[in-house]
Amino acid sequence: MTTTRIRRTALTLVIILLIIACFLAPYAWVVASSLKNQFTVFGDVTPLSWRAFVPVGATIENYVSLFERTNILRALLNTAIVAIGQVAFTLLLCSMAAYALTRIKFPGANVVFMLILLTFLLPIEAMMVPLYQVVSGLGLSNSLVGIMIPWIASPFGLFLLKQAFEELPTELEDAARIDGAGHVRIFFSIVLPNVKVPMVTLGLITFLFCWNSFLWPLVIVQDPARQIIQVAIAQQGSPTQLPNWGETFAGATVATVPLILLFLVLQKYFTQGMATSGIKG
Amino acid sequence: MSTGEQALTVSAGAKTRPRKAATRRQKQERLVAVGFLAPFMLLLLIFQYVPLLVMARNSFYDYSLLNPAAEKFVGLRNFADMIEYDDAGRSFGITFLFAFGVVVFVIPIAFAIALFLNSKLPARGLVRTMIMLPVVTSSVVIATMWSFLLDPSNGLINGALDIVGIARQPFLTSTTQALPSLIAMTLWQQVGFGAILFLAGLQGVPSELGEAARIDGATRWQVLWNITIPLLSRTTLFVVVIMTVFSLQAFAPAFLMTQGGPQEATNLIVYHIYNTAFIMQQAGYASALSVVLLLVVLAISMVQMALLRSRWNY
Repeated sequence: MTTTRIRRTALTLVIILLIIACFLAPYAWVVASSLKNQFTVFGDVTPLSWRAFVPVGATIENYVSLFERTNILRALLNTAIVAIGQVAFTLLLCSMAAYALTRIKFPGANVVFMLILLTFLLPIEAMMVPLYQVVSGLGLSNSLVGIMIPWIASPFGLFLLKQAFEELPTELEDAARIDGAGHVRIFFSIVLPNVKVPMVTLGLITFLFCWNSFLWPLVIVQDPARQIIQVAIAQQGSPTQLPNWGETFAGATVATVPLILLFLVLQKYFTQGMATSGIKG
Repeated sequence: MSTGEQALTVSAGAKTRPRKAATRRQKQERLVAVGFLAPFMLLLLIFQYVPLLVMARNSFYDYSLLNPAAEKFVGLRNFADMIEYDDAGRSFGITFLFAFGVVVFVIPIAFAIALFLNSKLPARGLVRTMIMLPVVTSSVVIATMWSFLLDPSNGLINGALDIVGIARQPFLTSTTQALPSLIAMTLWQQVGFGAILFLAGLQGVPSELGEAARIDGATRWQVLWNITIPLLSRTTLFVVVIMTVFSLQAFAPAFLMTQGGPQEATNLIVYHIYNTAFIMQQAGYASALSVVLLLVVLAISMVQMALLRSRWNY
């Protein structure tokens, strides 16, 4: 019995150390190096010492020059605007559509559902070129609206909410209907307050998708004043100069920390949403 | 409930009654349904179906995005070019190899991690949080992080190799190591997501099955191999398809880390499409490439749906 316990403890320890080395160490290196100057970053790696993962003699000069030299602050603000807008409109439109599909009987419901189902299979990245033409044809290129608008009608969001709406018992609504409540009132005052968890899950996954999106904003926006965070940090180094490692790491940290904090606080919803849907940003 | 059913049977039975009242109510319901659905469906049609049609049409044209009006109908020429010149074939080949490499490693490792997360061993929560970090990190940050990790002179991985006495490696600057490096990075990025999907599947396996087999004298390995894994074949198929589709659409690694090189060794198809359309300004040819990529992804999804529907229904 004791040997089994020792073996188990040893196995667990090995797995945890391996996971820390693989998954935590790169993050620690990036964050620690963002607080060092170039020579210290290189010196701590060759030969590799524990100092590589700890900000010994920390300096914030990389962050200062990052915010002074680049328009990263503007990019963060743009990203926040796009993300909040996209989350709000995705939640509203998807929940309305899910309500119609689960609570109202109308001819053609199957056709509508098939149309939505089919878009689930379309690979987003393969459609960049025609999507660019459609969005710029609508005069929305180089705008924050243009960044968010193609993704608001999310088939994934609709499925997530449709499932939640179907699981919701209809007794309350029947009672309200007998009292004379219409669909709009039932939707806002009975259905929506009872699907908070799936709504939060969808909101978070939309936020994650939006915050991390890269190819589409890169394609549709050229104006640096309208750029969002991922494109901004991808383009922060000018191509003619050698990369400043510390400053690049500072940019990566700024672009990542908000999302990781959000993830740590609301981990339950993230994991649940990803496991049930199988789709992520 | 009962009043509603009664009303239904009454209206269905009373066929002689004038049907106007019912239709008016139905009309009203239809109007409400349209109101609730219209915003979603409108955006869906404009931003999913219209681009699909535009793409199909443009794959028969020769034009540039800078001056789309000056277009020329070329029939199947773009598709013929794909066969004639080897850029498309090579790019698709590299992309398939990339996707295959990712899937082959993600599946067993994610499954093993899921088994650990589903066991009673301590520190599961900590491990789950750590493996999910790359999943919530953007592909731009991951690509940036890994190009520095893999740097030949000052990278962390070469620093670690020095310590254990292995020679320094060129990684991204070598034609033979660049693609495997990107596969390793994507494995690192996606394994947590795969593990979460497998964990959800494992939690759906009734524990009585394994316990009964153990009482009958089966070893842990036999239970795993003969009961757990077959029961998870649907989950496995699901993870395989998701990882394949995701890998086929990878863009940031090629764009940020290798620019498709060295010598086009990492010229992934979405990066090739991006270059063709936005840099080389051959949007017609890029549309044709996109059509082929779309068909490949659709075919994979169709096979998945067919398999999920027909076989392996435990």
